[in-house]
Amino acid sequence: MTALPPALSGAVYDRGYRPYEGLRGGRPEARWALWRLSVRRALGLRRSWRQKVFPWSLLAIATIPAIVNVGVGYAARQSPEDFRDFSFITYREYVGVSTALLLFVALTAPDVVCPDRSQRVLPLLFSRPLTGADYVAAKVGAIAAIVFGFAFLPQVVLFVGQMFVTRDGALNYFTDHAEVLWQVPLAVVMLAVYYAAIGVALASLTDRRIVGGVAILGLALVTSGIAGIFEASAEDGTALAVINVLALPLALRDLIFLGHVSADSGLSGVSGGGVLAVTAYLVVLLSAVALLLHRYREVDL
Amino acid sequence: MQPTPTVSPPPAPVGAPILRAADLTMTYPGGTTALAGFTVSVPPGSVGLVGANGAGKTTLFRLMLGLMEPTGGSLEVTGRPVASDPVGIRSRLGYMPEHDCLPLDQTAADIVATFGELAGLPARAARQRASDMLDLVGLDEARFRPVGGFSTGMRQRTKLAQALVADPQLVLLDEPTAGLDPLGREDMLDLVGRLAGFGISAILATHLLDDVQRVCEHVVMIDRGRLVLAGPIDRLMQTTGVMRVEVGGRPASGQALVDALAGRGIGASLADEHTVEVDTSEQGDAAFDAVRDLTADLGLRLYALSTRHRSLDDVFMQEARR
Repeated sequence: MTALPPALSGAVYDRGYRPYEGLRGGRPEARWALWRLSVRRALGLRRSWRQKVFPWSLLAIATIPAIVNVGVGYAARQSPEDFRDFSFITYREYVGVSTALLLFVALTAPDVVCPDRSQRVLPLLFSRPLTGADYVAAKVGAIAAIVFGFAFLPQVVLFVGQMFVTRDGALNYFTDHAEVLWQVPLAVVMLAVYYAAIGVALASLTDRRIVGGVAILGLALVTSGIAGIFEASAEDGTALAVINVLALPLALRDLIFLGHVSADSGLSGVSGGGVLAVTAYLVVLLSAVALLLHRYREVDL
Repeated sequence: MQPTPTVSPPPAPVGAPILRAADLTMTYPGGTTALAGFTVSVPPGSVGLVGANGAGKTTLFRLMLGLMEPTGGSLEVTGRPVASDPVGIRSRLGYMPEHDCLPLDQTAADIVATFGELAGLPARAARQRASDMLDLVGLDEARFRPVGGFSTGMRQRTKLAQALVADPQLVLLDEPTAGLDPLGREDMLDLVGRLAGFGISAILATHLLDDVQRVCEHVVMIDRGRLVLAGPIDRLMQTTGVMRVEVGGRPASGQALVDALAGRGIGASLADEHTVEVDTSEQGDAAFDAVRDLTADLGLRLYALSTRHRSLDDVFMQEARR
C-alpha cells in the first residue's frame, strides 16, 4: 500500500498556547496605543457608519470656505482688476471656525472618556503599564490632534489652491505668504490643545456622554453671553471679556497674526489686553489639566 | 511619532515566588486597615486567594498591580519589588476583574488586541495573539461580534482572553466564575486549570472554596486583612484527615478501641457506640496500622474503615476561629 503524500493525508494540529517572545514596549507604547484607540473612536473608525457621519461631515463643512475661495479665485483669473484680489476668507479668520470645532469637541470628547468610566473600563486600562498622566495625555492628545487636523487641513487646501490659481504665479504667492506657514500651525495648535483640554476635563466629570456634551456647549454659551453683556456696556473694551473662556485662543491667534488683539475682540482697547489674554489662556488650560490629573490620579479595581 | 518597542524586561528567576509579602500593611486615609502585617511567600502555579468580602483580596491585587503604595512592609511580584517599578511591573501581569469592564460597542477581537497593544505588544503581534487567545477560550467564531451582545459566560471568556493576550507571567483573576451558570463555571474552571500548563501562574481570588479546590495547587487564606493559612492544598487537607472506623463483636466496642488508641497516643473520639473517628493528622499511616493491630488484639470485628479529608471549608472555618 502506498502512503499518501503529506499534502493529501491531512492532519489536525492542536496549536495550544504559544508564548510570546517578541518585542515588548512599556509606558510610551501603551500611551501611543491608547492615543490611537481614542483617535479611531473619535473618527468612528471600526465603528458603524452612523459614528462616521459626524466627524467626516464636519471635515467636509470646514473645507467648504477654502474650496469656495479657491474656486472664486480661479473663476476670477480673467476678470477685471477689482475682482482679482477677491478673498472669501483670510488665513487668520479661517483659524476661527471655532463653532464647528467646538461642536466637534462637545460630541467627541465625552465619547472618548465617559464610557471608560460608565462601563468600568478604567480598572482594566490601569492594569496595563499606564499612569493617570498617560491616560490624560493620550485622551487630550487624541482630541487635540483631530481638532488640529480639521482646522489645519482646510488651510492647506486654501494655501495650495490659492498658489495655483493666482495670476502672480505659485512661487510668488508662496514667498508673499510665507509667514502663514508658521502662523497657521501655531495658532491652530493653541486652539486645538485648549479646546481638547477643556472638553475632556468637563467630560471627565460625568459618566454620561450627553451631560458632558451639554456642559461643554453650556460653558461656551454662558461665558460668551456674560462677556457679551459686559462688552456691550463698555465703550472701549473691557478686561471682563476674558470671561468668554472659549474665545481666548482667538485672542492668541490675533497676537500671532497681527501682533495685537484685533479690533473686533472684546479686549480691544484694554491696556495690556494681549498679556491678559495669554495669562487667562494659560490659567484655564492649566486648570483643565490639573482637574484631569486629579480625576485620574487613582482608580478603584 | 510611534515609539519603538523595546526588548521585554528580564523574566522572573525560575522558581522565584510569584508573590512575596513581608509585614505588608495597608491603611486607607479614612483609617480602615485592609491588610495588617500580611506575610506570605507563594510559589509559581495556580493559587487560590480565599477570603470573605472585605477580607483584603482586592487591596492585595491593587498593591500587586502597583496602583497604590502600601503604608508598611514590602511586596515582590514575580520576583521583582513592586515599589521599584510600580508601573512597569504591570507589563508582565494580566488582570481579570470581577465586574463588567468591557467596552460594549467593540468586538471581542478589537478589545483583546487593544489590550495587547496597551501591554506593549506591537499592533500586528497584538492582533495575532488576540486571535489565538479568543481561539483558546472558545470564542473564535464570535470574535467579530460586539461584546454588548455576549452572554455573561462569553464576556468572562473575553476578559480572560484580554488578561492572557500579552503572555503574562502571572494573571490575577478576581472571582472568574461569578455570575456563571454551572456549565459556564465548569468551562471557566477548566480554562483556569490549564494556565499552569502554559507556564502562566494564576492567583484566583474567590470566596468559593470549591473552585480553589478544583483548580489550584496552593491556597492563601485571608481574613480581615490577616493571613489565616497558606500552603499546598494537598498537604493542608491531608494533615487534617480523619479516619472513620466501625467495629463490633461485643458491647461498647467503640469505647474499647478509643481507650486502646489513647494508650498509643492517638487521638480518637466516639461517634456512636460502634463508630470511632481517629485523628490521622499526626501519625499518618501509623494510625492505620494501630487501628488494624488493636482491633485484632481486642477481638473486635472490623466492619468498615474509611478516611474523610476535611474540605477547605473545614480548614478555613477552623483556622479563622482561632
